[in-house]
Amino acid sequence: MSKLKLSGVSKAYGATLALRRGDLEVMAGEVHVLMGSNGSGKSTLCKIIAGSVRPDAGRILIDDTPATITGPRSARAQGIGIFYQELSLAAHRSVEENICLAALPVRAGLFVDRVSLKERAARYIALFDGVSGEGFAADALVGNLRPDQRQLVEIMKALASEAPLLIFDEPTSALDRAQVERFFEILGNLKRRGRGIIFISHRMDEIKAIGDRVTIIRDGETITTLNLDETDAATVIRLMVGGAGDMPASQSSVPAAVDIAAESALTVRNLSGAGFRDVSFEVGRGEILGFGGLHGQGQSALLRAIFGAGAITSGEIRIGSERFDASSPRDAIRRGLAYVSGDRSRDGVISGRPIIENVSPIHYLRDRLMIASPSRLRDRVLPALQSMHTKFASLFDPISALSGGNQQKVIIARWLIDRPDVLLLDDPTKGIDLSAKADLFTLIRQLAAEGLGILLYSSEDAELLGNANRILVFNGGSVSRELTGAERTRYNLYQAAYEAA
Amino acid sequence: MNQVISFIRQPVVVALVLIVALLYLGQLLSPGFASGGQILRLLIVAALLGIVAAGQNVVILGGREGIDLSVGGIVSLSAIIAGNVMNGADSGILPAIAACLAAGAFFGLLNGLGVTLLRIPPLVMTLGMLGVLQGLLVVIRMGIPSGQAAPALSRFVTQPLVFGLPGIIWLWIAVGLLMAFMLHRTVFGHRIYAIGSNEHAAYMAGVPVRPMRIALFVISGMFAALAGLCLLGYSGSSFANVGEQYTLTSIIAVVFGGTSLAGGKGGYTGTMAGAVLLVILQGILTTVNIDESGRQMVFGATLLLLMTFYGRGRAMRV
Repeated sequence: MSKLKLSGVSKAYGATLALRRGDLEVMAGEVHVLMGSNGSGKSTLCKIIAGSVRPDAGRILIDDTPATITGPRSARAQGIGIFYQELSLAAHRSVEENICLAALPVRAGLFVDRVSLKERAARYIALFDGVSGEGFAADALVGNLRPDQRQLVEIMKALASEAPLLIFDEPTSALDRAQVERFFEILGNLKRRGRGIIFISHRMDEIKAIGDRVTIIRDGETITTLNLDETDAATVIRLMVGGAGDMPASQSSVPAAVDIAAESALTVRNLSGAGFRDVSFEVGRGEILGFGGLHGQGQSALLRAIFGAGAITSGEIRIGSERFDASSPRDAIRRGLAYVSGDRSRDGVISGRPIIENVSPIHYLRDRLMIASPSRLRDRVLPALQSMHTKFASLFDPISALSGGNQQKVIIARWLIDRPDVLLLDDPTKGIDLSAKADLFTLIRQLAAEGLGILLYSSEDAELLGNANRILVFNGGSVSRELTGAERTRYNLYQAAYEAA
Repeated sequence: MNQVISFIRQPVVVALVLIVALLYLGQLLSPGFASGGQILRLLIVAALLGIVAAGQNVVILGGREGIDLSVGGIVSLSAIIAGNVMNGADSGILPAIAACLAAGAFFGLLNGLGVTLLRIPPLVMTLGMLGVLQGLLVVIRMGIPSGQAAPALSRFVTQPLVFGLPGIIWLWIAVGLLMAFMLHRTVFGHRIYAIGSNEHAAYMAGVPVRPMRIALFVISGMFAALAGLCLLGYSGSSFANVGEQYTLTSIIAVVFGGTSLAGGKGGYTGTMAGAVLLVILQGILTTVNIDESGRQMVFGATLLLLMTFYGRGRAMRV
């Protein structure tokens, strides 16, 4: 029996088509896995089912009856429960209250019924007895729990909705093996009781362990639905990547290898910190080392930590041959590091200030200047901006007058007046137009040719394959594979990103 | 045409137009209000306020809800310290200046450390400091006489020095030039705007955010102390809570001058005009016999009114 059926569902945000044609059928008593790369439209599809996004077109059937989902409350009323990846817990309330938050038991129409709240919560807490870890109790405050314990509360909260159809969007990312196994037992029980479950995960081993069928989404379209028994990981990845995935990266313009032995620009040994662990690599002068993998596998956290803006617990960083203990970006800049973030509005742009003041801070720091003379500064700033082909009317216009791409060029230009030795690029082209991207990569390669060591994390595979000499694929905070030479293909990139580490 | 409109909408221009209008109104209400001698007297009072507001200005420009509510307490404390150190003798002026500035810097430093190291919001930190200072003033006054201004200091503040203007006006002009230079021609000034506009981006660009923020509170404390010293010269002897009013009025002057309470936007020229404007308003209220409590109410209402014009939607955004 079909629990939920979506056909031809689409959604556009302005001119961007997030979902072109989404089809999905979830049967009663199955765990249905949804797979697709970053930006494939998978999360848009989930949001439509959960009611937080209204589709532009398409049909939705719940229990074979046409249905309209007008919002999250309407979804819940129609029997859809969701586990949120971004934790939606109230940190200052107890575990039991959080579990029952969606429907607090009420007495006399006004007061929270403490006794039945405790009873109800205890049922779900008992499900994870023995694996929930030290300090986990019904009356513990959620804010005091470890990340994995908070994720368990989130799972219990989803289970407590007792919805006939449950969506779990990456529910296991923080859990340990015992917790995952218990969770999968629980899912198995729910399945036998006829619930429908949509499961999103990037771990191929988990998908094989718990899933019955898999639906693959690519470029906003449902490609196919397969029985997981009758397929293998390679086939699934090939379907996610699409036709040309086995072709090696265009080799014409990328030098195959750089002789690191000659001179190392940056060396990282066994580095661990918040969001990454035991990462080691070396980037040579003139080399572009790519960081690949799914979003949030530690690439950004690592780059920020190297730049002194994140926590490091153990390991070693060397710039050239000297040890560097990253304590603040200020230190890192003095030692010749540069960092450009894709999140311009948070990390880069000094909003409301003139273009010239957005370029100058690094120059002040590196040259230990005290006086800001506009005329002398102009002579230094203009060439840097021009080398980026930045379009602007006056240096004294506010930076907010520029387009996103031009703003990013200004931010990069600030590092070019006094050349750094190592450039850390953290998804630098996020949200900028194609011609600006092309300018940017021309410059990045030119900088590499001039002897800079460059670390490039990009969420766009094409950027990595087209520019990086080597690619480290990140999975769960550590490097799962290194791709060099002809290994640099879309297929290998996906395979390393999705395979369990 | 657009240029004309944007020129007219500049806070400095608005304030200047209002200054002329208020002077005219004062003259109507009480002939002689806009006479030369009277205007000079108003300017002296405005200079005292303007010097306090210079410190308030840099703290507010630094953003992150930056505000210094302790300036009133520091002005009072400084006036008392100055009075006791010089005690009517010209030879005591230099030691008094040193003592006042040191005290202002010390309490500013405490504010800065509380805000950065202990992460106490500026509003709470400086309000608490104001309470401490007020208590301290009571303790000090019970133990020692309030002290007298040195004759040279009184002359500096009240008697013509060069071109018929008293020294304090020249001091204020110097503060104005210093502020303009600091804010627009030094790296320090650019960094104030940078942390006020986007603290995190400034941090990622190597701006030493914490030392900067501490420095801003120290500057504010020192300007307040300087004003307290001059205030002693103006009033002759220090008395209870002589600086109390400056907390509210210095904030109003800054906002009047077009500096955003959200930080990163504005400058000192507008603040100077704002200080003059406020003092004229105060003069008019006195002329029509509104007492101190009534004036406080008018000032409070003025600040709220200003916020609806300039700061709406931005001021409290985090």
